[in-house]
Amino acid sequence: MKRALAVLATAVVAAVVGCQKEPLGHLTPEETRIYVTNHDSTADFTTYKTYHLADSVAIIDNGYATKELTATDQAYIDAVNKYMQERGYTKVAKDQNPDLGLTVNRIYQTTAGAITYGDYYDYYGGYWDPYYWGYDGYGYYVPYAYSIYQITEGAISADMLDLKDASGSNKISLVWNGLIRGEGIFNASNADAQVKALFDLSAYIKTNN
Amino acid sequence: MLALLMIITSVSANAQQKGILKLDLNYNYSIPSGAFKNDIISNASPRGVTGALMYGINNKWSAGLQFGYQDYYQKYPRAIYKTGNNEETSAVLTNSVQTLPLIAKATFKPLGGTSSFVQPYISAGAGISMIDFKQYLGAFGSSATSGSFTAQAGAGIMVPFSKGGASGFSLGADYNYVSYNKFDYSNMNNLSLRAGIHFPLR
Repeated sequence: MKRALAVLATAVVAAVVGCQKEPLGHLTPEETRIYVTNHDSTADFTTYKTYHLADSVAIIDNGYATKELTATDQAYIDAVNKYMQERGYTKVAKDQNPDLGLTVNRIYQTTAGAITYGDYYDYYGGYWDPYYWGYDGYGYYVPYAYSIYQITEGAISADMLDLKDASGSNKISLVWNGLIRGEGIFNASNADAQVKALFDLSAYIKTNN
Repeated sequence: MLALLMIITSVSANAQQKGILKLDLNYNYSIPSGAFKNDIISNASPRGVTGALMYGINNKWSAGLQFGYQDYYQKYPRAIYKTGNNEETSAVLTNSVQTLPLIAKATFKPLGGTSSFVQPYISAGAGISMIDFKQYLGAFGSSATSGSFTAQAGAGIMVPFSKGGASGFSLGADYNYVSYNKFDYSNMNNLSLRAGIHFPLR
């Protein structure tokens, strides 16, 4: 009788301990995604009127960058254009002196280690040469602190640069960035909703027309 | 003769606890309270067990060690969190907490040594809980493991399987004070409801 009780009790203990709820096992793909935005609090987004969005995506793979345009990339570019124009900004060609420059980037890190988001901006000139914006020889400047994210798998980032004040300061300042991580982010059908999520966090991105 | 047998039987039942080491195993249902409920996990946890090795000092008092395991989990709807000075994050927040308490405990049965079939008890104890706390924003998380001071007060009943038997059912409730001073949290207090069996170890 006693042995039976001990066996039964042990079985109950093992069953309960085995029922631990695994946190990541109860997330849908949408629930795994995080959207992070950061901005220069001194920037007045209402004073910018025009923008140019690079028409290809920088693929940053283990620290090395190439340019590409897949269907998914195009979906992200289309979404950024859509929400910038909804906020009142006018898209112009690169040689028409846009106030803002935007880039979309895919970031991968598959080798051992991780991309620290701080390093990402240290090497930004290697992904988007300032010459691209017509400011050969300029450097990029990040005027605000941001959380250090270690990207060990993949992420999509969107970066907004102040071109209007570049020649006056001899540097191209980052005024806003958005980061998307999680499952299914490299899926064209998710692009619009994910870019919308970044803009929903950024009510201050709007111009006065 | 019959009276003598009854005396022997009652003496045997009354003497069941003294000098006997018992194991008490229970299913445990835990309800967070206070700051634990307000800030970390508001859902009750049905995933827990407690056990206690109790030595009968006399018919009324016993002392020993209680150990346990409890798993808490809560997933919050997507919300916006300020994660930096000018940084905001939209995410589904998940908190997952596992606790393993180890408590030195004493139990008092006011009717111990009498012929009462149902034996109520009160208990008190103090010890330490190992706490593993994981928090996720989406699929991205961090974890911290630490030990926390734990104090406990409880009450319940013990009912033998048969009159005078040393094995039986246990039902009880404990209030646990669990100190937790990390990440601006203050405690993980909870009310535990438990049901199980107890039996002597020989």
